[in-house]
Amino acid sequence: MSRADLISLYPEIILCGTGILLLLLEAAAPKLRRAFTGLAILGVLAAARSAWVVWAHAPEPWLTFGGLLELTNATYALTLIVLLATGLCLLASQSYLRRENILGGEYHALLLWCACGLLLMLRATELLTIFVSLELFSLALYSLAAFHRRLAIATEGAIKYFLMGAFVSAFILYGIALLFGATGSTRLVDVVQALGLMPDVPITATLGLLLLVAGFGFKMSLVPFHAWSPDTYQGAPSPFVGFLSVAPKVASAMVLYRILDAVVVGAPTMAVKWSGVVAALAVLSMLVGNLLALAQRDIKRMLAYSGIAHMGYLLLAFVTLDPQRPSLSPAIVYLLAYTLMNAGAFTVITLLYNRPGEQHLIDDLAGWGYRHPLLGACLAVCMLSLGGIPPTAGFIGKYVVFLNAVGDGLLGLAILGVLASLLGVFYYLRVIYVLYMKAEARQPEGLLIDIWGRAAAVVAALGTLVLGLWPSGILQWLIEKTAAR
Amino acid sequence: MQTFIDLLFGNTLTRLVFFPALACLPLLFFPKGRDGAVKLYALAVSLLELAFTVAFLATNLNADGTYTAEHVTRLRETLPWIPSFGIRYDLVLDGISMPLAVLGVFLVPIVFLGSWKGIDKHWPAFAAAMLLLTTGVLGSLFAWDLFLFYIFWEVMLIPMYLIIGIWGGERRIYAAVKFFLFTMAGSLLMLVGILWMAWSLKDLNGGVWSFAYEDMLRLQFPLREQIWLFGAFALAFAVKVPMFPVHTWLPDAHVEAPTGGSVILAGILLKLGTYGFLRFALPFFPNASEIAQPLLVALAVIGILYGALVSWVQEDMKKLVAYSSIAHLGFVMLGLLAFEQVAWEGSLLQMVNHGLSTGALFLLVGMLYDRRHTKKFAEFGGLAKVIPVFAFFLVFSTLASVGLPALNGFAGEFLILAGSYKTLPVPAVLATFGVVLAAIYLLKMLQLTLFGPITKDENRKLADLSLREIAALVPLCVFMLWIGLQPETFLRPSREALNTTLSRFQQATTRPDVEQVTLSNTEAGR
Repeated sequence: MSRADLISLYPEIILCGTGILLLLLEAAAPKLRRAFTGLAILGVLAAARSAWVVWAHAPEPWLTFGGLLELTNATYALTLIVLLATGLCLLASQSYLRRENILGGEYHALLLWCACGLLLMLRATELLTIFVSLELFSLALYSLAAFHRRLAIATEGAIKYFLMGAFVSAFILYGIALLFGATGSTRLVDVVQALGLMPDVPITATLGLLLLVAGFGFKMSLVPFHAWSPDTYQGAPSPFVGFLSVAPKVASAMVLYRILDAVVVGAPTMAVKWSGVVAALAVLSMLVGNLLALAQRDIKRMLAYSGIAHMGYLLLAFVTLDPQRPSLSPAIVYLLAYTLMNAGAFTVITLLYNRPGEQHLIDDLAGWGYRHPLLGACLAVCMLSLGGIPPTAGFIGKYVVFLNAVGDGLLGLAILGVLASLLGVFYYLRVIYVLYMKAEARQPEGLLIDIWGRAAAVVAALGTLVLGLWPSGILQWLIEKTAAR
Repeated sequence: MQTFIDLLFGNTLTRLVFFPALACLPLLFFPKGRDGAVKLYALAVSLLELAFTVAFLATNLNADGTYTAEHVTRLRETLPWIPSFGIRYDLVLDGISMPLAVLGVFLVPIVFLGSWKGIDKHWPAFAAAMLLLTTGVLGSLFAWDLFLFYIFWEVMLIPMYLIIGIWGGERRIYAAVKFFLFTMAGSLLMLVGILWMAWSLKDLNGGVWSFAYEDMLRLQFPLREQIWLFGAFALAFAVKVPMFPVHTWLPDAHVEAPTGGSVILAGILLKLGTYGFLRFALPFFPNASEIAQPLLVALAVIGILYGALVSWVQEDMKKLVAYSSIAHLGFVMLGLLAFEQVAWEGSLLQMVNHGLSTGALFLLVGMLYDRRHTKKFAEFGGLAKVIPVFAFFLVFSTLASVGLPALNGFAGEFLILAGSYKTLPVPAVLATFGVVLAAIYLLKMLQLTLFGPITKDENRKLADLSLREIAALVPLCVFMLWIGLQPETFLRPSREALNTTLSRFQQATTRPDVEQVTLSNTEAGR
């Protein structure tokens, strides 16, 4: 390991170190608990800063650890998105943890380690490295999902998530083993290149690739690997769901992109079949996610299904990976928009619902748009953005993804996509209807709306609007920097 | 180099578009329960906006009232917005958008005056929704970049959804959601169409992105593609107009919306549908328009007759006026589909006329509703004796709507029928029956409400119109009379733009069909 290798790991080291520090503080000085959120956010900011410094001095692409990790402009952008999700989650968590009386350093530490695993996975180009980072963040996610330990539903959701997640880890590992058996390598690029040179692709290799796609499809909660997400979302701490519904999907999308991209470059003959698989996953996710979300009365379950649909839209960008066309930049724009609006929505949910063990009925928000004007407006903006209505980030995300789909000749998929998003509008509007057009049904009691939570909601909602109104800077940067291959 | 801020503080279109939106910000800081101050503020903002509009026209219109291509080029306001996709912030005022924009701005203070009593809660939110709606409407009318147009087009939806949903009647939620979903369904397909056009343009344009109107206009698609694209655009606009059979959201929206919402919906939002046909769908896809002409004409005539017949049997004043809108907009569509200069002028004039007279009718129905909390004919009768001023305005607006000569409706309908008779004789004759039917159902409304004996005791003590209500109605009536007596003044600024669009359209239809998408070289400016 050279010095350069170590430098490339600075963001991860900072996150990991801050987590350990918080855990030690929890043991040594539990009185400082109220300051943990601030410390953790400082850690995230420091990680973001170091990621910037490292990126600014790195060549493009920068391979470290003998090519196990690859730093590119795209992974840098996604790193920042993951850190943004982590920061928003930390801000939103403070009031939840205090209200539920479970404030402790473990929560922050687990979240930071989780982010650390995600950052590693974003940059990993080798299957075993991907697997190790996957396990690092998955274990943290399982524990966080069960963090409210006095709550039966939280434990139930977490167990479901853990059991399925364990299966999926086994799938992925098995897929890696099959690919290694077929090609003698665990480096993604080498694996696919070897496959490209074979006259007939062995069935074991195809199965291996399928297992990998299924595994990451599970993490992205694509249909038909989505069943865990509504239950887990419902039971897990709301602020953490804001993270769970965003950050792991960002990193998994990157891995999925790596796999598909390697196929397109290394084995073009297989590419057609794979784009069919991806198209099927996209269509299923868009339709099933939106249709099931229509029927939900619980806002967290609704957002779980809506998240499934959003990953379907995102996949449209991956259906045809044309080496001539930037396929990653639309996905990154979409992920950024999705992070802002979803994290914003879950922040408001954290602040406005105070009984985590029970259902979070949409109707409970009736008339609260007037009682809590700021939070209500933030939630409304996030809902409009999720529905893809301009001028919000969600629309810009949909625009770039659909534009690319139309350009790739996937007119049918684009039309299906817009029709599916029409279904989406229906249930997102219902939240606005409940907020502003229904008579108040419930008195607020036991809510803890602190400055941290408000800040997270405002940052997310404003970010959504700003990205919707002035997307030019980010779009230009992404298109210029991530187009080159 | 000019920046957005420079434009915002000049005598510009940018100021017209964004002033109402920016004027919403102070509304956040009004203390609770001070609705009186909010009303005055909203009225002041809308009047100032009107003053800005007048100032803009006064400085830029020629002395003889014409408005030429030279103006259009000179007054264009354009800045790069999303350069990676060639998307520009690009505003243009031409003869087609001018009358509609003026109408839109003119109606807003009237809406505020008309909502003074009717809107009884959340006034800051109401004012904000109305002002944002103004921004959306003006933006859609001025946008010369298709992406920008789409943004403004969608931005109009949210405020209208809130206006119907928060301040509407009993079934307001149903109506609001239906309004939103119908409009959104149409426009999403149009979005795919726009993206398709943008790709075609990029491929032909040496890989350079552009969403500019004049560049899109140069695209010449093979017939098959044209038909699909025309379908996507036409659906979006037909929903908005609304044309039969996608009109079903309109009666619901109108009946449930508060008075102010109905006025603005009938007055200006519907016109954006017909404007969309005139500006985008027809000029972009001339061959497809020609092929679709019989179908669309049939739908327009069905709309005229169906709207009239359904109005006839209504027992509710507001529903009657709402269905009459379908009939009136049918006339506008018929005129547009005649592809004939006189008919087009009539259509454009009729868009304005309908905004004035139907706006006035909705206001009057609302005023009656404020007093009696019902809109049923059965509850009224003989009102002319009790509230003569109200009766005068109702008769006046109804006659304008019927198309009595010397009032505005006549000018518009006459031009449409005269113009379309040349190219579409049979539909024009059929549509004439619509005029007769309109007289029947509108006069029936007058008879049942104003004349005859007073049947209900509650009606004996109704208060007549207040000064505020008269102030809201008088400007509308002045313009109804003015347009009726001197339509030429109002036609003149638009004539050149309509003529250019029409001749370009006719030229394009004579071109041979192409095998592949091509970019025509003719200087296709405005």
